[in-house]
Amino acid sequence: MWETCSDLVCNNLFAWLNQGPLTLTIFLHTVLIVPMFFIYFQEKKRLQEGKED
Amino acid sequence: MSKKSASVWTSIRFWRRSAAWVTGTATVLLIWLTFDTMGQISMGSDADLAKGIKHRIPAATVINYHVDYQFDQKRGHEVPVIGEKEKFFGKEWSAKDAAALLHHGKLTSQAKNCMNCHTLLGNGGYYAPDLTKAWLDAKWNDGTMTGITGKNTKEEAMAEFLMHPSQYPTHARMMPDLGITQDEAVALVAFLKHMSAIDTNGFPRNFSQSAKRLEGGTHAH
Repeated sequence: MWETCSDLVCNNLFAWLNQGPLTLTIFLHTVLIVPMFFIYFQEKKRLQEGKED
Repeated sequence: MSKKSASVWTSIRFWRRSAAWVTGTATVLLIWLTFDTMGQISMGSDADLAKGIKHRIPAATVINYHVDYQFDQKRGHEVPVIGEKEKFFGKEWSAKDAAALLHHGKLTSQAKNCMNCHTLLGNGGYYAPDLTKAWLDAKWNDGTMTGITGKNTKEEAMAEFLMHPSQYPTHARMMPDLGITQDEAVALVAFLKHMSAIDTNGFPRNFSQSAKRLEGGTHAH
C-alpha cells in the first residue's frame, strides 16, 4: 500500500496521495466521510434535544 | 430532560450541512490541484536547463541539448535525460528563436493534422506510430535513416523524411506526402525533439524495447 514516491516531484500532497491505490481513498474518506459522522451525531443530539430544523 | 426519539435521515439540516461540507472540501481540493498542476505543466526556463534543474516540460532551448532516454531504477521506467549541448541544424538556437521554431512546429503539426494517423502524448489516431518519443527512436540513431536519406545528421534525415515520406518506405503503412516545406520540416523536427524531452512518467511504456520489437510499428498502446 505504501510505496516510495517515484514521480519527478515528491514533496507535494498530490504526489503523496498517488503513492498507492489506497492512499487517495483513505485521504478522501478521512476528509469527507469522517466529518460527516460528526455532523450526523451533532444533528442527532440537536434533534433529541427537541430543537427545530 | 428526556431525550426524544429522532431520525437524522429526514433532517434537512443534516443533508444541507453534509452537502455543503462535501462540495466545499472538494472545491477547495480541486482548485488547489488545478494550481498545483499548472505549476507542474508549465515550461521550465533556459537558465534551469543550463543548471540541470528538471522540469516535466523543459524550455524550448532543449533542442540545443542532447536528449537521451534511460531507465531510471528508482522511478521504475525510462526518463528523458538532458545531456551535453549539441548543434541543432548546425547551430545553437536562442531562447526566442527556439520558442518561435517550436510554435511554428506545433502549428504545422496541427495544420498537417498529424494526429489523424499518429498519437502525440497518447492523443490521436492509432494508425501510425506514437510520436511522443519519435526523436529517440533507434532508427534515427543507428544510421538506418541517415543512410536511406543520404543526410549526415539525425535532424536533417528527419526533415528530409517529413518532406518526402513516400520516397522512404519504412513501414507497410506508408506516410503520404503532405506538402511539408523545408521550414515546416525543421520546425516539426524541433517540435518532436522537444516533445521527446517531456517527462511523461514513462509513457509510452518500455519505449526502447517495444521500438525494437515492433520494428517501426505503432507504440500507441
